[in-house]
Amino acid sequence: ANSSDSSSSFSTTILRDFARKELIDILDSIRGKKSLVIDPTISGSLSLIAEFSLLKEHGVENIYHLQPGRFNIQCQHLVYICRPKMINMKYITEHIHENSNNPDNEIQYYIYFVPRRTMICERVLEDVGVYGDVTIGEYHLDIVPLDDDLLSMELDNSFKDLFLDGDMTSLYYVAKALLKLQTIVGIIPKIIGKGKCANYLKDTLFNLRRELEANHANSISSIPLFPLNSEIDSLIILDRSVDVITPMCTQLTYEGLIDEVYGIKSTFVELDSSLVGLTQNTANISHKLKKIPLNSNDKLFSQLRDMNFAVVGGILSQVARRIQDDYEGRHQVKTVSQIRDFIGKLNNLRAEHQSLRLHTNMTEEIRKFTLDSDFNKFLEVQQNFIAGITSHNLVEYIEEMINNQQPIEKTIRLLSLLSSVCGGIKAKSYEFFRKEIVQTYGYQHIITLDNLSKVGLFKKHDKSKNTYPSVRKALKLIVDDVDEHSPNDISYVYSGYAPISVRLIQCACLLSNSKSMPLPSTTSLFNPSSILSSNNTTNNYDDNHSSSNNNTNNSSQSNVSWKGCEEILKLLPGPIFEEEQPVINNSIYLNKKNQNQRKISLVLFLGGCTFTEISSLRFLSQQEDIQRDFIILTTDIINGNTLVDSLINQVQDEIKSLTTLNYS
Amino acid sequence: ILTNESYKETDVMSRIEKLKTALKYYSEDKDRQFEVKSTDEHIKLLQIQEQLEKETNQVFLELSLSETIFKCLIIGQTARASKLRSEFRIPEKRFWWIKLKALVKTNDWEGLENF
Repeated sequence: ANSSDSSSSFSTTILRDFARKELIDILDSIRGKKSLVIDPTISGSLSLIAEFSLLKEHGVENIYHLQPGRFNIQCQHLVYICRPKMINMKYITEHIHENSNNPDNEIQYYIYFVPRRTMICERVLEDVGVYGDVTIGEYHLDIVPLDDDLLSMELDNSFKDLFLDGDMTSLYYVAKALLKLQTIVGIIPKIIGKGKCANYLKDTLFNLRRELEANHANSISSIPLFPLNSEIDSLIILDRSVDVITPMCTQLTYEGLIDEVYGIKSTFVELDSSLVGLTQNTANISHKLKKIPLNSNDKLFSQLRDMNFAVVGGILSQVARRIQDDYEGRHQVKTVSQIRDFIGKLNNLRAEHQSLRLHTNMTEEIRKFTLDSDFNKFLEVQQNFIAGITSHNLVEYIEEMINNQQPIEKTIRLLSLLSSVCGGIKAKSYEFFRKEIVQTYGYQHIITLDNLSKVGLFKKHDKSKNTYPSVRKALKLIVDDVDEHSPNDISYVYSGYAPISVRLIQCACLLSNSKSMPLPSTTSLFNPSSILSSNNTTNNYDDNHSSSNNNTNNSSQSNVSWKGCEEILKLLPGPIFEEEQPVINNSIYLNKKNQNQRKISLVLFLGGCTFTEISSLRFLSQQEDIQRDFIILTTDIINGNTLVDSLINQVQDEIKSLTTLNYS
Repeated sequence: ILTNESYKETDVMSRIEKLKTALKYYSEDKDRQFEVKSTDEHIKLLQIQEQLEKETNQVFLELSLSETIFKCLIIGQTARASKLRSEFRIPEKRFWWIKLKALVKTNDWEGLENF
């Protein structure tokens, strides 16, 4: 936390302004009053880009969600903003057909595809004969800034698309977005990555850049494509398939637990209004859901979000005590419920009080959840698994969960974790669990199980060697003495387990920082613990990498690199790569670097990342031996439940909707 | 693999037909023994559930095997539950869990004591 004063120059709000301007341009291009029909999967993103009042200023009268069923509307211009999905095309054509029967209501239709139009959608519209009736456009909303250091493509279920369906569309979107980003912040000189999709993305990105530059060379424009300064010095790309263990674990940070318990969508959490404390009247039993934004504008939340949940209660009471001192200084408040009573008495609730009330209530609810004996047993088994303890009675617990008909997501999370840390499950248990699952949860899960084995989450033990134990030791994933109050290692986010993904990033940032950091004594595998305790001065880094690493004076070389950790990376699935992108003007970049500015790395997760990983990266950036800021870009934010859910064969809902249709 | 198709059919008979087609596809692949066996079980369960619905006038379709047994126990179809247990070779442990829960649900204290 030493050089936080030299704040990074890049601000994610630029991206918001970009997206905002494009939306307004679209709205202004349509004269007169209009109604919007928004795809529910992007409404969260849109609400972060533009508030309703702004849309109103630009002629929007009503906003609807795009959904099945009848849609009667009186208006002149109807603007659809949606993802290029088949199902959306179906809804839209239904609307158009329905309205065409009504001669009094002549509507102009517009469809804006987010982020890009696709041939197949246009084809569908042609086939049903409405293509001529609609104006088609694109709204390039790709990167959505969720916070100052957090960007998301908000592409739900990206893991399933990439690793189950092999659908690389989202990678194309990411590559396009990254290129656009580079036209704002400059070419990112160094790119490293791990995983098949990461590699594919890098190739796509390079191809797109070449294409763009070729087109640019043909044009007469003299404006350079990319700014000369590179604000971001490196890009680290990680496939989710490199680390599937982390999301299977229960997140133990405040924000992570909120996500596990309530679910956070595009920074919003939906809470019972009684929890939010908007109504003073506690007898009011209206169980309405209220959407609450969770971001760094809430000062208290930004203080709490990355902490281990164990500490949150204490901090809340400290804050409460401080507020109390400010106002009264009489009562002595100790427990959470006392705090709530106290807050309830305050008349003038300012933002801080409201925030305190919200987080106190939420903390209390989450605490109830964490005190549950099932939760604790679940956590205990989980922590044993990641520590490599998979004894018979622990495995039996999963059987018990199935017999108790615990939610299938929970069961599968634990089974997947077991499978991942064991490098597959023994044939006999594998068959047993498969049978138990389909007989207990239903035969539709034949497909769920098949999906899980395809993405490698739950599979039969094969001949290949189980690499997890070596990964665990090499990356020092398990840390026993965690001090949640003043953590000295990222493993605090899971109370003793460090996410593999972030450990890899830590290695990449530490190792090649050869001037200020002592290099690890590499024997067969390097052990980051020796780096973490930075009193290690021995330097016998004399393997075959040393020659390539001897670029001591070349300061234009970014110091993010996989060099020195290839052995560990080999244990994890997918190829690794390390590339330099040609930078347009090196000297300016150098000048900038020589200033005392903190370096920025963009960390890109393909297939989603968790809040705990975000928290650990924030933690890392404050460590003295890292000396850089991280900006995170992810395809979407996930947790174990959402990840597993996307792979579960959901037939029940379909049946239900079908049967209701038949009855109506 | 389009086993899902069968779920889209609202009529049990056509669902079973679809599953039989799926079964045929699965049988062609030697590595799909689990799928073959389970789909076979699925068909069998649907047939039993249909029969149960006719006899008892209660909804059984869409329940899983364990849930079906649970429901049988609750409505006093104990013999049927035992038959399902042996027919689908339910592990003893799971069966006792189901039975225990059913006893609790029906407040059968006597049954619980004899458990």
